[in-house]
Amino acid sequence: MTRLRLLVAASLLAAAPAFGGTDMAPVQPGQLEGRPAAGESSPLQALVDRAAPGATVEVGPGRYVGDLFLDKPIRLVGRGRPLLVGAGSGSVVRVRGPHVTVEGFDIDGRGGGDLGRDSSGVHVSAPAAAVRGCRIVRCLFGVYLREAPGTVVEDCEITGIPGKDPGEKGSGLHVWNTDGFAFRRNTVVDVRDGFYIQSSSHGEIRGNVARDLRYGIHYMFSDDNVFEDNVFENGAAGGALMYSKRIRFRRNQFLRNRGFASVGLLFKTCDRVVAEANLLADNARGLFIEDSYDNVFRGNVVAASDVALVVYAGCGRNRFEGNSFVANLTPLTLVGRTTDTSFDGNYWSDNPEPDLDGDGRSDRPYRLSSVFDHFRGNLLAADLFSQSFAASAIGAAEETFPVLQEITAVDHAPLARAPALPDVPRRAPRRSAAHGPAVAGSAGILVAGTALLALGRRLPAS
Amino acid sequence: MKGAFLLCARQELLLAVRSRWTQIFAFVFAGLSLAVSASGYALSGGHGIQDFARTSASLVQLVLLLVPLSALLIGVLSLAPERGAAELLFSQPLGRPVILLGQVAGLWAALTAAQAIGFGAAGVVVFSNAGGEGLAGFLVLFAGSSVLTAVFLGIAALLSAGAVGRRRARALALALVVWFIAVVLFDVAALGLASLLRSGTASRVLIVSVLVNPVGALRTGALLALQGTTAFGSASLAFLRFTKGTVGAGLLLGGSLLLWTVVPLALATRRLSRADI
Repeated sequence: MTRLRLLVAASLLAAAPAFGGTDMAPVQPGQLEGRPAAGESSPLQALVDRAAPGATVEVGPGRYVGDLFLDKPIRLVGRGRPLLVGAGSGSVVRVRGPHVTVEGFDIDGRGGGDLGRDSSGVHVSAPAAAVRGCRIVRCLFGVYLREAPGTVVEDCEITGIPGKDPGEKGSGLHVWNTDGFAFRRNTVVDVRDGFYIQSSSHGEIRGNVARDLRYGIHYMFSDDNVFEDNVFENGAAGGALMYSKRIRFRRNQFLRNRGFASVGLLFKTCDRVVAEANLLADNARGLFIEDSYDNVFRGNVVAASDVALVVYAGCGRNRFEGNSFVANLTPLTLVGRTTDTSFDGNYWSDNPEPDLDGDGRSDRPYRLSSVFDHFRGNLLAADLFSQSFAASAIGAAEETFPVLQEITAVDHAPLARAPALPDVPRRAPRRSAAHGPAVAGSAGILVAGTALLALGRRLPAS
Repeated sequence: MKGAFLLCARQELLLAVRSRWTQIFAFVFAGLSLAVSASGYALSGGHGIQDFARTSASLVQLVLLLVPLSALLIGVLSLAPERGAAELLFSQPLGRPVILLGQVAGLWAALTAAQAIGFGAAGVVVFSNAGGEGLAGFLVLFAGSSVLTAVFLGIAALLSAGAVGRRRARALALALVVWFIAVVLFDVAALGLASLLRSGTASRVLIVSVLVNPVGALRTGALLALQGTTAFGSASLAFLRFTKGTVGAGLLLGGSLLLWTVVPLALATRRLSRADI
């Protein structure tokens, strides 16, 4: 019944061009998407337009096809998870007025729109918006904040467009030129970057999950940001911090970034960052740092990486202290000859030195880099020998006859015992498949080998 | 002819199985592979980070270290003719090549059986803890291990062909030298050479040296089969580009191992035919 009335209202809207002055002109890339064209407008549009500023508009369950334009303070609340289906040519919900709240909707972008126009599930270009409890699917961008200070996105689930290349997709939560924003408890899957923050300060990002994408979190030219208690999993990089200053982050997990040249956490031209109590586990490379100064890494765990740290020569005055480096194939790749990065006072699980005087520190310094590590940092194919005995032999020779070269990366006071480690979460079990045959096959090999040896002893010597 | 070959093989298998050396090798290999597979879990805190890949990478190291050593030592000890027994054996109306190939086949069967015990035990531990993932890589490693046995038995045959009396000791010493070169020295030399060259040439030198050395070939093939391109990071891709894809890599690595099996054996039969026993 309501829907019928809404449809009538929508057709009235179409007959009244005065309502949408800008609707007919096509939107150029980089410009703001305005009021949707009459044929692409949501049946809820009339309801919203009639509401007084500051009113709460409740929407019942149902499927509403068309884009929605919100240009005044309003609280739009979905009851029974109504589904907003976009017209397929641009953003589904366009927030253009301050203090707009969108809550409790399912939003389907139908894979349409255009990266250049920032086509999103919810596109916010006004201060102090709130998006809560929405499920956004098949949109180029999930929620896009363009000059939207004070906006909050909470408890949303965003899934990108399946089957597209990362370059053809947008970010889950995208922020541009916005001072102050908050993302809490959102889940982002299968997009380009989970959280992309450009030229935006004073944001806080807490308790979110981003997985199966390119970068979990990506800062560009964004100073004074905080992110805590997030999980970034299975991407080209868990986190990429670029051209930004004074970012602080704690208790995040950067997990299983295992692809070609993948990194748990990447720093490029970032200064005065503080990282505490984060977990970087099962990454191809744990932490990659280039052209960055005065950063502090304290109490983090880097575990089960092929290379725990990759440090480029253009870095200075960085400090690692109280971190645990556990079960990494190589602790450090140093690209360039020297570094003034301080590695004093960390725990290294492959440090063989004992602590005989019981002061909690190993009695001798721990050398992080061998000639071979230096070599592989500068010559790609040397990695082919990374697990050879030759590499170990070169390392041992260097320990025994320290004439080969002056080693520059040393922990002068390595911790003798690992600090308390955070628990590494298990990967979702995939073990149901083919578990039995593999065990049975191994048992078969075991029995066959034993049988041949035993039988051979019994056989008469012809 | 075929009967004679099988007879020699059976005889050598019986001798090898009853030899203390084979039994010690089987015991040590099984013990170490069990230790590696069990401690893979203890060391990762029981959380199963990279369950199978990390554990099997340690198994690869074990194979690369022990299998060439055991094949060379047991090979030389069994194949270098002892004066009395060899005179009797080679006076039989059989071609020397048939005798030699039969002996090598028997030794190979015994050593592969000894390795099977270690692999089987490790596989039961790993797969019952980590699930069935990686079975194919595991089988590739087992197959590679038995091929490596054949390679170094062939080299042992070449070293010990006609090494009667005092020359037995020399053959044994040479076997140890060959082992050290194949497992360590060759790679060190390749790295050293590469460090003197320009980057592009150096990469080609390293890739070719990995293909040429049977130990390097097995290491590369097994780790690629077990871990995919994450095994060596971007170097895997450089390697695969050089070999024109995974099929090319398999053919080149397999061809290298095949040549290393066939050529020393052929040389050994030739040398034995001319030897004065």
